[in-house]
Amino acid sequence: MNTTIIVSLLLVIITTALLLIVQRTSTNVIPGQKISNRDPTFIIAGPPNSGKTSLFTLLTTDTIKATVMSQEPNVAADYMLPSAAKSFKFKLMDFPGHIKLRYQLFETLKESSSIKGLIFVVDSTVDPQKLTETAEFLYEILTITERNPEGVDILIACNKCESFTARPPAKIRDALEKEIGKIVERKMKSLSSVKTQLDANADEKDADNDALELNSSHGFKFDALDGNIVAMEGSVLKQNIDKWDCWIDERAVN
Amino acid sequence: MIEQLVVFTPQGQVLYKFNPLRKRFAEQQINKIVCQLISTSARKEEGGKFPVLELDGFACMYHAMKQPRLYFVVTYAASSLELNQEAEQVLQLGTRLWESLELNDKIIHNLNGKGPRNKHNYTWILDDGEAELDKFDEYFKIKFEEANALNSKNSSRKAPTPQLKAKNGKKQLQIQPGAKTRKWGRDGIMEEVSTADSSALDFSEGTSDSSQVTVTDLDKSSFGNRTDNGEFLIKEIDELLSKNKSEKIKQANSEGGTFGFLQKHLFGNKTITEADLKTVLQKLKQKLITKNVAPEVADYLANQISQDLVGSKTANWTSVEATAKESLEKSLTKILTPGVSVDLLHEIQQKTGSKDSNGRKNPYVFSVVGVNGVGKSTNLSKLAFWLLQNNLKVLIVACDTFRSGAVEQLRVHVENLAQLTDETHTRGSKNSRGKTGNDFVELFEGGYGGSDLVTKIAKQAIKYAKDQDFDIVLMDTAGRRHNDPTLMSPLKSFAEQARPDKIIMVGEALVGTDSVQQAKNFNAAFGKERNLDFFIISKCDTVGEMLGTMVNMVYATGIPILFVGVGQTYTDLRTLSVQWAVDTLMY
Repeated sequence: MNTTIIVSLLLVIITTALLLIVQRTSTNVIPGQKISNRDPTFIIAGPPNSGKTSLFTLLTTDTIKATVMSQEPNVAADYMLPSAAKSFKFKLMDFPGHIKLRYQLFETLKESSSIKGLIFVVDSTVDPQKLTETAEFLYEILTITERNPEGVDILIACNKCESFTARPPAKIRDALEKEIGKIVERKMKSLSSVKTQLDANADEKDADNDALELNSSHGFKFDALDGNIVAMEGSVLKQNIDKWDCWIDERAVN
Repeated sequence: MIEQLVVFTPQGQVLYKFNPLRKRFAEQQINKIVCQLISTSARKEEGGKFPVLELDGFACMYHAMKQPRLYFVVTYAASSLELNQEAEQVLQLGTRLWESLELNDKIIHNLNGKGPRNKHNYTWILDDGEAELDKFDEYFKIKFEEANALNSKNSSRKAPTPQLKAKNGKKQLQIQPGAKTRKWGRDGIMEEVSTADSSALDFSEGTSDSSQVTVTDLDKSSFGNRTDNGEFLIKEIDELLSKNKSEKIKQANSEGGTFGFLQKHLFGNKTITEADLKTVLQKLKQKLITKNVAPEVADYLANQISQDLVGSKTANWTSVEATAKESLEKSLTKILTPGVSVDLLHEIQQKTGSKDSNGRKNPYVFSVVGVNGVGKSTNLSKLAFWLLQNNLKVLIVACDTFRSGAVEQLRVHVENLAQLTDETHTRGSKNSRGKTGNDFVELFEGGYGGSDLVTKIAKQAIKYAKDQDFDIVLMDTAGRRHNDPTLMSPLKSFAEQARPDKIIMVGEALVGTDSVQQAKNFNAAFGKERNLDFFIISKCDTVGEMLGTMVNMVYATGIPILFVGVGQTYTDLRTLSVQWAVDTLMY
């Protein structure tokens, strides 16, 4: 008697597990990637020391708190905007900017099916000439987000605008655009990466290659991308992030 | 004297900071420490209770708490015996006080999403824990002062100087706002709670009379000369500290039976213990070793996994083994991902774009080092081929003056490359400058001789490259055994004289366990100021999925892999795809 109950229970459990697995692996946006995050998601990313975690705490607690370099993502699972879209909840994630930890971001980008927007925080006091690494980071993000048929909207949040040496957002956007153009050019010239040892699956390699190459024929333009890319200034320290709030609001409602 | 104590989460939220010198919070220091923690894979444990890091300008001692994950960091001027001891005391006090005030329970509670939510539907990690935090602050400062006073008494046997007293006075003033308790209402509005209420929040059980000691009493009792009340408070803190310790020992959970088994293998949602992991780790270690990962590195990785997982819970429907595998994947990715940008073309453009005072461009200099027979010359030629395809002028320098035939070997490579770039090139002909090669690629040779000759050739070659408008100088060096000091020592002077922009070590994927030592020795050979810049891992096509050498070399030095060689022809050079390497190692 007892054993039959246990066996039947086990059967139920196994079938539900199988169903769950089947469901998880189907309906992919990017082919070949399993989807683990289906919630509507906003992502905060950017180079180190640009104020991502500060922005995250400001968004979640409305206060400024001391932060240091992150090693792990900050996640607010059911984040709610206090303003217009009251009922709308989404996931807010803040990823560390250290170059060794960026794989966390890239993995999440690949495994999420509903990214509403990505806030790319940059320090606007940095000399536009020295934006190469920032541009490279943004380029890497774009190579993933642009694989999505509709792309992902990106806000270049130019933080620390209260500083005397801050650059206007339009200038930063242009600088990044130009720098990415150069990177695309360089990437075409550089060696391809090892995907398969003896080139057995050459097709797969090509399919996986950068979607951005298409745009390289007459210079790289943000406007040519699927996602919408805008730059806005703001300051986390002075709690002056209304423009960014609006941007999030717009995308959250849609 | 320590500079500061900071408590922060791996997510980068600072929970507590204390600065006895009343300076501004030096977050740059902490950032440097975190950077160090991220990029150095191998951590040296040196006898002491807590690991010590030495960075430029300061030292730090830290404790990484696991459940919840928190970092306690103490920074101080330099690592000396006395300061280390003091830092250890402070750190010990901090962590014990933190644990005994049950702040951890609050944090775990909040992290699990059970805490109060503000209007953003979000729980900050310390919500509802402000009272405890204030108490921590207060108690910590008292104990810290006490320890300090004790220390100064021991060292000088003098009464506290007036200066110290003045400082104490100042501290009292600053403590007062801290004594007020802040509370976050359900709607996120901050409420100031009067000091009397904070005793109502005081749930720490003590003797009845000691719990009556309120914060206002504390203000009256100056830290320099304590009144009875002050003594009481310290006694209470001591009691708190000792009590919690004994409680902790009692807490031993005994889960088991069939349900535990099912949880472990099927259901998930199980708290992982050391015992659960033991067999799994053994299995994973074995697997790594069969993939050519050195036992030392495999041990390290296993340690990382248990550090990462013990005390945490498995996700639903996930076995312990799957969770451990995931964690291993994470650590492997972290090790192999380069910590610096590796855009060579960009750097070359920058260097050659800058002109010197005479208006000539500066050539970008590579030098290639490695053990005998790993493929230095071959990979150098592959590199040259890639650079030539990017319309750069390349000068190949034969700095291997030991082995007979080394120069001739390079000459064959240069002839090949010249023919590949220009089909009309006839083998064996000289170019306009009377050297082997053509206008794009050329061989610079100086015959055979001792190690003095090597640096001489290198310097001459760079000068020549500058004069003749070359973009790139590639220097081939002699292969040498890494554990022979007489062979390794010339490398230092070579690096100092030739000053290459990039020193690349070629390591073969075949080598196995010895690769750890190879990488370490070559990295150390250039002296303290200079390190290797990149690795090229050659002969990857010969090992199949046994890519352990890559992990070994990067683990030993923290230096990224730039390229991997995957065949015999000039085009068989690829950049490393970390994901591919990790996948190959895992399956």
